[in-house]
Amino acid sequence: MDALVQILFFVVLLILGYFWGRYFEKRHYKSILEREKNTLNIPIVNFGAKQSLIDVQEAALFAGSVVISIDYFKMISAAFRNLVGGRVTVYESLLDRGRREALLRMKEDAIKWGANQILNVRLETATIGGSSGNNSGPGSIEVIAYGTGVK
Amino acid sequence: MNNKKEKNVILTTLEGVPGQTIMEHYGLVQGSTIRAKHIGKDIMASFKNIVGGELKGYTELLQESRKEALERMVKQATELGANAVVNIRFATSSVAQGAAELFAYGTAVKVES
Amino acid sequence: MKYIPKKIPEGINVTSRHPLLNFAYLLGTVVAVSIFIFVVLGFVAEWLVIRVSPETETQIGDMLVQPALDKKITDDKRIQYIEELLNSLLIPGETTRLPLQVHLINNDVINAAITVGGHVLVHTALLETVKSENELALVLGHELGHFQAHDPLKSLGRSLVFLTVSSILGVGMSQSGGLPKIIPLTSELTNLNYSRIQERAADIYGFNRVVKHYGHGGHSLDFFERLAKGESKLQKVSQYFLTHPLSQDRINDLNAEAAKQGWKMEEEVTPLPQWLHCSNMKPCEQAE
Repeated sequence: MDALVQILFFVVLLILGYFWGRYFEKRHYKSILEREKNTLNIPIVNFGAKQSLIDVQEAALFAGSVVISIDYFKMISAAFRNLVGGRVTVYESLLDRGRREALLRMKEDAIKWGANQILNVRLETATIGGSSGNNSGPGSIEVIAYGTGVK
Repeated sequence: MNNKKEKNVILTTLEGVPGQTIMEHYGLVQGSTIRAKHIGKDIMASFKNIVGGELKGYTELLQESRKEALERMVKQATELGANAVVNIRFATSSVAQGAAELFAYGTAVKVES
Repeated sequence: MKYIPKKIPEGINVTSRHPLLNFAYLLGTVVAVSIFIFVVLGFVAEWLVIRVSPETETQIGDMLVQPALDKKITDDKRIQYIEELLNSLLIPGETTRLPLQVHLINNDVINAAITVGGHVLVHTALLETVKSENELALVLGHELGHFQAHDPLKSLGRSLVFLTVSSILGVGMSQSGGLPKIIPLTSELTNLNYSRIQERAADIYGFNRVVKHYGHGGHSLDFFERLAKGESKLQKVSQYFLTHPLSQDRINDLNAEAAKQGWKMEEEVTPLPQWLHCSNMKPCEQAE
């Protein structure tokens, strides 16, 4: 009986995680794609330290950061994948979203300021500990993107 | 056909390609991958924690991850029409126990001598 | 240098593997491998454990049974009665590999069990609930069947294997949150199935001996029939999670066995001695 309750609980959390997770992810990607299209005209590059910058009057630091949480379904899939080996595909979308979102936020801030290029961009990813006392994997992914906007 | 294009992509960690000039640039490109090793290797690693020595399984894991991350970044670059990626940087974070996440990013450019 | 804005195509950093298919594949692999490992190791454990010497078995058994004996009743003629009944179920000339010791335990949960080393535990509640000697004989015969099949030892061996594997897996994946629930769960479910196979075999063995002793199987299933009436609908659903098969299934199985062997089931009942329902602690009332 105890085993039955455990399984039921597990399945309910899985279903919740799967459906809500997919919904949030789809929504997020839609927003990302749209914003990327809108801001495509301003370049982000990660060189700039050694170039002579022509036509540049001002420069300022811009940073964008985001923290995205995983859902239960992803956590369990990753835990299984850890046993079997191979690519952890469920986390790939998480990291992709995080990085693109952080870059977009930095870009949007710079564009508002009036930058026409963002140079020497760097990215850092960190994971924040798990939820509900599981010392497992990430509870969330934190990405920070920073660069110098010039105009 | 795509493979040929990708093989000819120049990768540097410098701000440009020595001896060539950058004609066009396409912005940031990224490649990332997360891989895990199966539990057999994890158990061997736990034993190695007792005796010490190189964790060959995990070394292999990181090498595979690095190769794949670079490949993905180069793929993004070739899709944009670039023939070089400059100022490449790597970053890694641990997203799960026993899994390695590797992230490579650089700027996709077109160079000519 | 000139900037050429171009959209980076999707799908390079994200593999388009459907998450549900991915999950199903992973779950399937993990469950299949766990079952396989558990079954293989179970066989190995059983094979090893049967080869334990009677002396070692006695030592282990004496150690393990201690906690169960703290409510033991001594100096009661019911103990002798149970011993005689148990011995009468053996075929004349047959001996058990270890002497069987009967312990009467003061407990109001209906239960009887046999442990490693041949310790037969009978709860007083069982004596108060059985209505004929035939019923009691079947219960004792069932326990005898477990002993002859080395079931207590086998269960012990399997538990040890299971604990070892769990702790190794724990070493390998100590950081994987909800996961440890799945692997022990799969093993637990496989373990329960083994128990039910053992129980069925013990049922058949006990029934066999009862029929040999009395010449018929009549009234021996009455105890199970009463249990079956009391079992609720919910238990039907969670049957898979119980170590013993449901009473109705056991009754059906034994009736089928009787039909197969041509045993008579409708004969007169052998009554219990009058003093079985009373004890040194409870004054003798008129038994039925």
